[in-house]
Amino acid sequence: MTQMQHETSTAPAAAKQALPMLHIKIKILRFDPEKDRKAHWETYAIEAQAGDRVLDVINEVKWYHDHSLTFRRSCMHGICGSDAMLINGRNRLACKTLVRDVAKDGGTITIEPIRGLKVEKDLLVDMEPFFDSYKAIMPYFINESPAPAAERIQSEEEAERMAHSSNCILCACCTTSCPIFWVNGSYLGPASIVQAHRFIFDSRDEATQQRLNIMNQNTGVWRCRTAYNCTEACPRDIPITQLIEEVKRAVMYQQA
Amino acid sequence: MYKGREGQWAFLLHRLSGIAILAYLLIHVFSIGSFIFGERFYMAIHETYDWPIFRIGLVFITAGVVYHAFNGLRIIVMDFTGAGVAYQRQMWYGVMAVTVVSGLYAAWTLLPRLLGGY
Repeated sequence: MTQMQHETSTAPAAAKQALPMLHIKIKILRFDPEKDRKAHWETYAIEAQAGDRVLDVINEVKWYHDHSLTFRRSCMHGICGSDAMLINGRNRLACKTLVRDVAKDGGTITIEPIRGLKVEKDLLVDMEPFFDSYKAIMPYFINESPAPAAERIQSEEEAERMAHSSNCILCACCTTSCPIFWVNGSYLGPASIVQAHRFIFDSRDEATQQRLNIMNQNTGVWRCRTAYNCTEACPRDIPITQLIEEVKRAVMYQQA
Repeated sequence: MYKGREGQWAFLLHRLSGIAILAYLLIHVFSIGSFIFGERFYMAIHETYDWPIFRIGLVFITAGVVYHAFNGLRIIVMDFTGAGVAYQRQMWYGVMAVTVVSGLYAAWTLLPRLLGGY
């Protein structure tokens, strides 16, 4: 509230003056496998603008406060899916989260590594188990029939069927927000099921039965207990739980 | 604690109420079945149920059963219809309302026992 008042009061002069800076604290869960036995919190005082991304703030910490801070980021535009983090208690992409949405002037932003995967250092986790689950659902187009002379035609309705699931950028926000995945790492997880959905409901793909069988295994779709954390966390606004439920129904009706 | 929304708490409460119902059932079967060892044994067990924790527990087990039953219906609706997923939040508030009302009703009916015991 104070921040809003502050902004409106300076608005007429904004053209001449620089934007007001927020004084915020960045609290990061640090872990160095060479020194630490347990992760510990470290706090950095930072000045940032309301419109800065959380990633800018983390970069500020790394560049000007502590060079040893380790995290992933690549495109910084919410496409590569590298910088999924647990920001203020929720999984988000640091490059798609603005400071003003998570902190006020004088406030604190807490940043932790995503859960359920082994922390290698600071905010960097071992993504291999995540990508193993991804590979398990055969994430590639399978069609053994001879290709037509032109394209494999798909109607608009058929394309719409897989429109949401083909938006996934594999950032792992969903899988690492899932309470089932935290306690049972063998669960393929929401991200893999979304990827499976993308091929199961692709009218041109022919391996539907095989993928439904993978989804029907005890590491598959039935582990989902509809906690909706994945749907809330997805930075691409994919209605993940809805897609998982569609796969559940497809598995069920296949057997009927 | 992860800051999930309604769905996460619905899931957690469903688990907890399920465990509570299972524990209640096991204790129930054991204490009723203990009659085969004679009346004294049976009564010794049943007198412990006069402890305050068991008296208050009755209210919570009622609420737990109601929650588990109605949230189970919510899950069935979500699993079988797309609209169920779209309105899961509203349905959960409905489930919570029913749970609280029946918990309060149980507390009202059990009031003499809650205060005075047998």
